[in-house]
Amino acid sequence: MKTKLWAIILMVVCTVFTSSAQILYKLGAEKLIFDIVSIITNWQILLGLVFYGIGAVLVIISFRGGEVTVLYPIITSSYIWVTLGSWYFLKESISVVRWSGVLLIMMGILIITLSKKSESGEEIIKYAEPVE
Amino acid sequence: MKTELYAVILVICSSLIGAFGPIYLKKGTDRITSKLSSIYANKFLIFGIFLYGTSTLLFIPALKGGDLSVLYPLVGLSYVWVCFYSSWLLKEKMNFLKWLGIFIIVVGISLIGIGV
Repeated sequence: MKTKLWAIILMVVCTVFTSSAQILYKLGAEKLIFDIVSIITNWQILLGLVFYGIGAVLVIISFRGGEVTVLYPIITSSYIWVTLGSWYFLKESISVVRWSGVLLIMMGILIITLSKKSESGEEIIKYAEPVE
Repeated sequence: MKTELYAVILVICSSLIGAFGPIYLKKGTDRITSKLSSIYANKFLIFGIFLYGTSTLLFIPALKGGDLSVLYPLVGLSYVWVCFYSSWLLKEKMNFLKWLGIFIIVVGISLIGIGV
């Protein structure tokens, strides 16, 4: 089975959601007091949970469109987004070693996705229809 | 902080179990039809999620017993297991470029874990 381009894109979108969820949790956790009301009314944590849910659904849809050996490693792009997000939104300092790690992950994902040329986007239409 | 042997063993077990997760999710997604029950009563999807849960439950106590810089590279190993399992259970073909990509990613994850 060839891995479709839409499946690869969907997996990347999924990691954007799950990484945003982690940044939101961190933002939410900082003002958290341990009583139940402050937890269930914390919008960052609630939105984070919703984003995780969306991410899970996207993984399942994406898996329909290709090989696990190509799609699963793409999940590591969340390391890229979380590092960028922690640096930009949380103002954390990121060491050179960490940035090199991010760069290596990008390279690895590129090598894997290019290892088998994906088919073009026209397949999206076919796959969007329910399968009997 | 010294990393305890039990933590290393737990993380390796956790990654070996967790790596079966995507395999069963994939088996599950291939069985989804237009019927709603093919999603919520999908044994493969449920088992895949159960495996993820089990792996997370093993991972949390491991975090107490060691440094993230040692444990993170071991987490990266799960991407290696997924490739072995996929060729074994899903009959997917690995090739040189895929292995090279996985190797580079595992090194990358290790560097992020080491941090400094």
